[in-house]
Amino acid sequence: MSADLAVVGLGRMSYEEALQHQRAIAEARIRGDVTRDVLLLVEHPPVVTLGRAFDHEHLATPRAELAKRHIDVFEVERGGDVTFHGPGQLVGYPIFRLTEHKEDLHWFLRALEEALITTVASLGIEGVRNEGLTGVWTHGRKIASIGIHVKQWVTWHGFALNVATDLSYFDLIVPCGIDGVQMTSLAQELGERAPRDLWARALDSVVMGICDVFGFRPQAVTLDDLLAATQTGTD
Amino acid sequence: MITKVVMEALSPTMEEGRVITWHKHEGDAVSAGDIIAEVETDKAVMELQARGDGVLRKVVAGEGTTVEVGKLVAIIADADEDISGVAADGKPPSDVPTPAAATPAVPAPPTPEPAATTSRVKASPLARRMAQERNLDLQSIAGSGPGGRIVKRDLEGARPAAARAVAAGGYEDVPLNQMRKTIAKRLSQSIGPVPHFFLTTEVDMERAAEAREDLNTLGEQRISFNDIILRVIASALMRHRACNAWWMDDRIRYFGEVHMGMAVAVEDGLITPVIRNAHMKTLREIAVESRAMAERARERKLTPEEYTGATFSVSNLGMFGIDEFTAVINPPEAGIIAVGAVTEKAVMRDGELEVRRRMRLTMSCDHRVIDGATGAQFLQTVRTMLENPLAIVW
Repeated sequence: MSADLAVVGLGRMSYEEALQHQRAIAEARIRGDVTRDVLLLVEHPPVVTLGRAFDHEHLATPRAELAKRHIDVFEVERGGDVTFHGPGQLVGYPIFRLTEHKEDLHWFLRALEEALITTVASLGIEGVRNEGLTGVWTHGRKIASIGIHVKQWVTWHGFALNVATDLSYFDLIVPCGIDGVQMTSLAQELGERAPRDLWARALDSVVMGICDVFGFRPQAVTLDDLLAATQTGTD
Repeated sequence: MITKVVMEALSPTMEEGRVITWHKHEGDAVSAGDIIAEVETDKAVMELQARGDGVLRKVVAGEGTTVEVGKLVAIIADADEDISGVAADGKPPSDVPTPAAATPAVPAPPTPEPAATTSRVKASPLARRMAQERNLDLQSIAGSGPGGRIVKRDLEGARPAAARAVAAGGYEDVPLNQMRKTIAKRLSQSIGPVPHFFLTTEVDMERAAEAREDLNTLGEQRISFNDIILRVIASALMRHRACNAWWMDDRIRYFGEVHMGMAVAVEDGLITPVIRNAHMKTLREIAVESRAMAERARERKLTPEEYTGATFSVSNLGMFGIDEFTAVINPPEAGIIAVGAVTEKAVMRDGELEVRRRMRLTMSCDHRVIDGATGAQFLQTVRTMLENPLAIVW
């Protein structure tokens, strides 16, 4: 099986705008107007998002304080607790129709982990799962987070891989609701070994990791083309 | 019409899910397809759709409640319909909200750490019940669920493990995939606590074979031996309701309908799609549906409701040349029939030696539901019907 995956680079885009695109594309994927699975890749300005399993205690900083630092807070429909997105973090939103893969949410989460483990491995970092704590870890530190939403077996939301994230932002929250969790990034783990084009390599590796695990052929698509398809059903 | 809203299996490995948001409230009108709630398993949130029209009459599982797969979460019915029967029948889920935040001390070790460090043990309602039944101390069990929460699989691991066979020569370790894990769990659950017994009979298939050949000259849809066997067993179950039942720990549920599970070998395991209301379907309908189901199973396109809810199952290894075997019961079902190959054999008939096409059936029974004589009478009916296949037409 080798289906096409439409890979869309959004560049740096606000969380809100990206969320609107996700929802529109997911709805189009459900309707069948978008005929391929889609992977959106994006970098967000600093933002804190609260998943459905959110516990108020895990937002360790008052919202007024966050507002002062120009950090927006969003409550969203994904699974999981609180997390942070910001510059240096590669966020991926797989909008996949699971009926064409496997109607199994646990499988999907494990497959995303597998793809991210493959990704970091290709950059020289040993990523592992931490049973019961969805995400990808390296030496006890968390390097990638996952939280998804599914409607009629079409997924959206997704994963966040810390490439060169300013990790101090995570001090503002209890990431993923796990007390004492230590966040890390590719840059932090690699230290001096980090290649200069780390971001570009991370982008490539993520796309290849996803394609390996899910059996896709990647195809770069522009957002405009994809959005046109969501309206006219010409994809 | 009353539509029960139950916790849907969003994954074969999902044992329970948490209701996180209700989009509709008691008294709201709902139509099939409406999003009524959101359910979370692991870090995935799925929208729960109404499968019927009416009014959301009762919300059984409030927000934050963890519910076992298949258990009632709400009732949709007409505005003035009496739902007291359903409300009483659906066992309300345990009302313990999951601690919203799992908080293990250190996230480091990949192996689950014992949850005994906290005074209050985190465990799923199902795990608590299992622990109680098996007299296991939850304090001594390591939880592998989110935040060290003890879930069902941990208790299964808590049983003394059988001595592991170590291969003297070469061996290959194949990691368990999720389906394999589910199978292992189901089956060990089965071979463990289910008291099985087995009944075998040999059936003369000569007339069934002739009937099949005749039928296949008539229509475009090929009829297989398996189709005939499924059809016959469905009819026989309607005459022996005692064998068409579920063992439900505190009760036995006898069914008035036959939902026939048929085990299908797929690339990396086994799945049992269900032919609903098999007792009401014609042989041809069963032939068409079993073909389609097997195809969909191999393509992994089955939806959860297509492989759950069987009242009885049939496993056929005849096509692999297996003459006779025993199949493992798929709980909560109480029985399964293992079908061997149809082979030519020399048999004595009216004092003469004849070559006849014969087939062996072996029924595995859960002794808590089916007694020896009950099972034997049922199997006798199956044999009689197969040996007199006109019964199919009646």
